[in-house]
Amino acid sequence: MSLEPAATDRGMWRVVASRDFWVRLHDKGFVISTAITLTVLTVFILIRAYGGGPDSFTLGVVGNDELGRRVAALGDRSGLDVTVVRLDDEGAADRALRDGEVDGVVLGDVDQGTASLRVLRDPPDLLDQLVQGAAIGLRLDTVLDEADVPEATIEELNDRHPVTTSRIERPDPDRDAKAAVAFAIVLIMYGQLFGYGVWVATGVIEEKSSRVVEILLSAIRARQLMAGKILGIGALGLLQLLLIAAFAVTLANVTGAIDLPADSLSAAAITLGWFILGFAFYASTFAVAGALVSRMEELQNAIVPINLLVFASFFLSISAVQDPDSTMAVVASLLPISSALAMPVRMVLGAATPWEIALSLAIIIGCTVLLIPLAGRVYAGAILRTGSKVRIRDAWRAAE
Amino acid sequence: MPPGLELIDLRRRFGDVVALDGVSLRVDEGTVVGFVGPNGAGKTTAMRIALGVLAADAGEVRWRGRPVDGPARRRFGYIPEERGLYPKMRVLDQLVYLARLHGVGRAAAQARGQEILDALGFADRARDRVENLSLGNQQRVQLAAALVHQPDVLVLDEPFSGLDPVGTDVLVEMLDRERRERGVPIVFSSHQLELVERICDRVAMILDGRIVADGTIDELRASRERQLLRVEVSGDADGWFESIPGVRLAESVPDGVVLELEDGTDHQRVLDLARSVGEVRHFSMVRPTLSQLFREVVSS
Repeated sequence: MSLEPAATDRGMWRVVASRDFWVRLHDKGFVISTAITLTVLTVFILIRAYGGGPDSFTLGVVGNDELGRRVAALGDRSGLDVTVVRLDDEGAADRALRDGEVDGVVLGDVDQGTASLRVLRDPPDLLDQLVQGAAIGLRLDTVLDEADVPEATIEELNDRHPVTTSRIERPDPDRDAKAAVAFAIVLIMYGQLFGYGVWVATGVIEEKSSRVVEILLSAIRARQLMAGKILGIGALGLLQLLLIAAFAVTLANVTGAIDLPADSLSAAAITLGWFILGFAFYASTFAVAGALVSRMEELQNAIVPINLLVFASFFLSISAVQDPDSTMAVVASLLPISSALAMPVRMVLGAATPWEIALSLAIIIGCTVLLIPLAGRVYAGAILRTGSKVRIRDAWRAAE
Repeated sequence: MPPGLELIDLRRRFGDVVALDGVSLRVDEGTVVGFVGPNGAGKTTAMRIALGVLAADAGEVRWRGRPVDGPARRRFGYIPEERGLYPKMRVLDQLVYLARLHGVGRAAAQARGQEILDALGFADRARDRVENLSLGNQQRVQLAAALVHQPDVLVLDEPFSGLDPVGTDVLVEMLDRERRERGVPIVFSSHQLELVERICDRVAMILDGRIVADGTIDELRASRERQLLRVEVSGDADGWFESIPGVRLAESVPDGVVLELEDGTDHQRVLDLARSVGEVRHFSMVRPTLSQLFREVVSS
């Protein structure tokens, strides 16, 4: 049994990181936050897969077979799925409406001007439009037929699009799906960066308020302790994000909510990569916030400035989902405080140019490399000072 | 005796307050040094500097004759004044973690943690969370945390405070074993001066950031150049001793007096006079206790 110490404490961050990782992996908070994220994500994906508003209707017809056929045909052209059900009389129609078996029933006769759409309470807008459109078509046909317009001309009028569409730019048929992915990424990234950042801060306060830090620092240096804590908690955050991403990609592709296997994999990779960068940037500031105060109750105040920055980044990034090419979105994707949220959005939407990505990477990595030693010094100067909140300037001076 | 831990001329100010004003202290291998002094005298500051959790403005800490560096310091065992353990961590996990931070390998740390808990008769609480232990038991874990990496030197700030008599005996025994079996130099601060007197080889007394006395108890006694006599005489004879030059009352005790004799005053004259007053039931030289020495030093 060797109790001889290694020559320095240089690798000691690994021991610290390992403790911070395992202790929190077994923490209820980790299980709960994972469960909540996965639940929200499942709902989000399932709504996209099977919800998305009533784009399918069941229409009852009493008589009126031809109108029913035309409503179905018109719906088909508009991407709406209309099922037509034949009903015997008005009584059967009302029963079907009350039982929710049909969304609406067409009664009466179009040519005699007695046609009506009967619904339970509010007519679904799209169904109303379809029925009105189909009825106009039916009535026109009758009129044209009576005026001896040739059958071929009537068919041509019914089947052709009289107006064609031309575009300046090629449309992205997946724009909608990609926006949904980008939106989900902003939500998850915000929760992950902020949640794990706060975990760093509370981990620091736990050691400070319990005074165990005095024993830790008699064995290793403050910077090793801070580095270990950030890396251990960051590794757990990355693991959780990996679980979430794997779950989301699988569920989205299985349910067909987002039918882009390759794109969803690259979106997951982008998210993981930017989480590492964003966490590396923010974590040391959270560690400093924790070191400046002595009790958990004081943490809320200490993290207000960081909280505001992360929150502002969140809003900028949400608006970047809508308009990824706006100046604000471009700036947000370059600033280190917001790039971890905004750049993945612009990358997933295909709006970021290679040089913008490169510049953004250079800025956040450069700033992180500059920030960590400064934060390490303030942390080292503040971590052993209990009592009232330590001022950053005093902490800076206290550390060599 | 080879030099173990040495504090050399440590100085430290906090703002305008001088906490340490040139403190030197030597703890040789295999010796136990008691560090005593009133609250605020600088004991904790000196110990924190020795452990490197506080920087000195000037002065040096040496270990075996060389300035202390990181690797040497990781061989120190420490109980800080305010204590400190992870409240929610289990006892054994905590000890293993602290051992590993002190450079002990994973397997060895596990074995040592178990071993130290066995030695403290605490193995059945290994899976308990620290916050669920009584204060006395937390104190035991604190001691285990200081010993788990088999330190080369022990620096203990008020290790006995909060311990019941049984806990005190356990700690005394542990310290004695560390010293006897491994020759570990130990310095601890305490206000329990009878205890210090009982188990320490040397005592260092600190006052207002300066060491005012340092030596064995006998040396300290000798350095207070005084002779005290306790005399009990039957009969009511207040002030019977006042006629002898160089004798004055130091203290009245039940059934008698403690007299302070100036140098060169003959005990036998006092005895003769006492016998002339009444029956002498008690006549002895008084060895001042550490408490008495301490009070004298503080008040002088």
